[in-house]
Amino acid sequence: MTNAFSLLRKIIRPRSTRPAAPQTDNEAAAKKPENVDSTILKERLALIKNRLGESNDVVIREFSTGSTEVKMAVLFIDGLANKQLINDAIIKPLLSTTIVNHYPEKLTAKNAFDLVKNNIVFYSEISTAPDLTQALKMVLSGDTDLFIDGEQKVLVFGTRAWEKRTPAEPETEAAVRGSREGFTETMRINTSLLRRRIKHENLRFETMKAGRRTVTDVNLVYISDIVNQRTLEEVRRRIAAIDTDAILESGYIEEYIEDYPFSIFPQIEHTERVDKAAAAVIEGRILIMTDNTPFMLIVPTTFFQYISAAEDYYERPYIALFLRFLRLFVLNIALFLPAAYVAVVTFHQEMLPTPLLLSIAATREGIPFPVVAEALVMEGTFEVLREAGVRLPKTVGQAVSIVGGLVIGDAAIRAGLVSPAMVIIVATTAISTFAIPAYNAAVSIRLLRFPLIFLAGIMGLYGLICGLILILIHLAGLQSFGVPYLSPLVHGTFSDVVKTFTRPPWWLFVRRPHMLGLQQSRRQATNTFSRKPEGSTRELTHDATGEKRQNQPGGENDS
Amino acid sequence: MLEKGKISPRQSGELLFITVFATSILIVPAVTTSIAAQDAWLAILLSTLPGFFLLGVLSWLGGKHPGQTLFQYAETILGKWPGKLFGLLYVWIMLQTAATTTRQFSDYLSTAFMPLTPLSVFTLSLIFLSVVAVISGLEVIARMNEFIILLVVAFLMLVMVLALPNWEPANLLPVLAHGLVPVLRASATPAVFMGEVLVAAVLLPYTTRPQRTFAAGAAALLSAAFLLAAGVVAAIAIFGPALVSVFRFPLHMFVRTINIGDILTRFEVIVMVTWVAGVFIKLSVFLYCASLGLAQVLGLRQYRPVVFPLGILVAVFCFLFFENIVEITEGIKSVAPKVYAIYYLVLPLLLVIITVVREKIFGHKFQAKRQ
Repeated sequence: MTNAFSLLRKIIRPRSTRPAAPQTDNEAAAKKPENVDSTILKERLALIKNRLGESNDVVIREFSTGSTEVKMAVLFIDGLANKQLINDAIIKPLLSTTIVNHYPEKLTAKNAFDLVKNNIVFYSEISTAPDLTQALKMVLSGDTDLFIDGEQKVLVFGTRAWEKRTPAEPETEAAVRGSREGFTETMRINTSLLRRRIKHENLRFETMKAGRRTVTDVNLVYISDIVNQRTLEEVRRRIAAIDTDAILESGYIEEYIEDYPFSIFPQIEHTERVDKAAAAVIEGRILIMTDNTPFMLIVPTTFFQYISAAEDYYERPYIALFLRFLRLFVLNIALFLPAAYVAVVTFHQEMLPTPLLLSIAATREGIPFPVVAEALVMEGTFEVLREAGVRLPKTVGQAVSIVGGLVIGDAAIRAGLVSPAMVIIVATTAISTFAIPAYNAAVSIRLLRFPLIFLAGIMGLYGLICGLILILIHLAGLQSFGVPYLSPLVHGTFSDVVKTFTRPPWWLFVRRPHMLGLQQSRRQATNTFSRKPEGSTRELTHDATGEKRQNQPGGENDS
Repeated sequence: MLEKGKISPRQSGELLFITVFATSILIVPAVTTSIAAQDAWLAILLSTLPGFFLLGVLSWLGGKHPGQTLFQYAETILGKWPGKLFGLLYVWIMLQTAATTTRQFSDYLSTAFMPLTPLSVFTLSLIFLSVVAVISGLEVIARMNEFIILLVVAFLMLVMVLALPNWEPANLLPVLAHGLVPVLRASATPAVFMGEVLVAAVLLPYTTRPQRTFAAGAAALLSAAFLLAAGVVAAIAIFGPALVSVFRFPLHMFVRTINIGDILTRFEVIVMVTWVAGVFIKLSVFLYCASLGLAQVLGLRQYRPVVFPLGILVAVFCFLFFENIVEITEGIKSVAPKVYAIYYLVLPLLLVIITVVREKIFGHKFQAKRQ
């Protein structure tokens, strides 16, 4: 089956076999004869106006300066660039005669470029663009260009500053304990959030671009001496192969680079939490940051990542252990509780203890539909209610839930359309679905529930197990960037299994996951938990009062 | 290479375990007990000997021809056409085993759980699942098995522990009341299942460290035999040898006796469910070996195109070979040991003898060339 998928993928998306198309439409435009770049400022500005059009946010400020009246122009996009900064740090020194004439060299068209760059402007982040196309690209990202008459090269000032959202608590991944900061839509803020957590020199932000028209920044974040180089190379290759007009959200990238595009399971985890992203990077995974979205992708991803939550790592290990197993259990409930109920009530009544069987039979008395139809209809109704409630304003949403609750919970039962047992089953399943920490994993479980109910309805538990085996065949065939999806349960080392299904105390986390094939697997010395100082076995309180010492002379030495 | 995937020695050991164990647990207890009575467990332990012999022969041959499966080195040793004929014989026996497995288990499902459902529903669905798995490749089967083996073993252990209150250890006595002869006779049937380590001949070249396959296979064989023996011991301890030999599926009956606080009762269905998974893996392994073998014998570049036709063939064999479950059980008791002895002992031994003769007398060198 997976093979069929990969075959289809080959047909649909030949990777890197296509002849190199022009990366952006700008480059294509630059190749047209009427768009040839010129060093004469006047022609150049005309060309810019031609290429950018009459957009009202494009600002061009022409001026001339120095005793030889060198002509210059500043180009920036209003709203993307910091106007105050451009005034104070670029235009003001250039127009101030005291500053320009301060230097022994006279400002002429010939030396203007170097003099401006090295001496005159008060700016830290200056770069040079070789030609107009490059310069325009940077302007559109919020930088400021300075064109000098008679000069091919363009000075580019990093003035990106636009309206940003401040980091807020991530709504999709709330936690009781842990950092309240979530990623925002602005790449620069996001990189700073990560840099603040990982201050190591080997933290790398590698920039790539994707999308012909959106020219979206995509950053690969990793630690260069931990990450698996082959995985990194593969990620680069897949992102570079994306050839589309728009990348508006990391979900686009996810679908372009995942291994099995037709799989129902999400193969790339995403997060909004900064601490979770930082932990993933430190663990040796690669973070794919996309501009304009707070959702970061984490690769490689394994299935069991979806049963862990950031909080597990901050609370005591015992509760984390309990919660992980609870989530595994809940995952199974969400997947096949309704199907199992259908199978048992339809085919395997002998499994139920007699009193329970009797009470179920009594509630089913007079219900006109077979159990499987009842289950499918109820699950369907629940999905409708949920979908209706998700996007409504809170006030209206309440009305939906009241109507839904009344219709499903009460009226349907009183009318004898569904049995109360089925309502309990559907409700339990629904709540279990919500208890899965990852929304995208919960979605695939929700979808798979329906075919399983159907199979259980026609072949009982045998049908259910056939369905589960099919799912397992699919899962076992999946890989995410070279790591089997079911790792570490398959292909895994014992310590990986322990680290996935329990959460050992931090001082026992000696190695990073083996399955990722990292350059350095050791992350700390063994047994680094802080011991008590040698010999001080007495409790501090006793030491303070001195009571114990009098009662047990020499107790310290004995123990 | 037809198969690009690689499995670890542990995975190949697990595959061998499930191959041997999955259906033997259904059939063997009744058959062995009917001959050896309360000494059936001893017969099962003894029956591992031919399995070890076969495993040893296959590892030796595999070591001589690294990177080659049984079907390929048969051609190297016997020459092209005799080798192909030899390979076809093994494709045949693998298909036949697959058909027997499917039929046994479908009969079990049909008689024990869903008597009104036509048998073909079970055979066809099982074969369909296996075809999908085999097309996905050896690695996928091995990975799935790592998961399924946990379920199968854990449930069997659980069942045995839960049944402990019902044990009557006196049922197991006296040991060797009729001497060794019935025990030896009874060991013929489990030996048929132990001989299924034959698939190691196909898995060996696709294992990352082929030299460790013998150890992995031996561990698989031993653990399968011990679990099987434990199952038989438990069944005999609960019902006594007379009842066990009458039951069609003693372990099924045995699970039915479990009753923990009136809540955990009659959960043989859940046990059945884990067995479905085990049998599915076994079927996939045999179907995989048969498909790969056929592709290699015919010199195809892909084994995947033959999987589906072979699957249909297995389904046809299921109904062609056997009339009913009694015929299968009787066949396994009396005919199968003789037939399978040829495939599991005589023919592999023949390969070894010809290899030795060609090397020692004719001075031919089978050099270790890697593909």
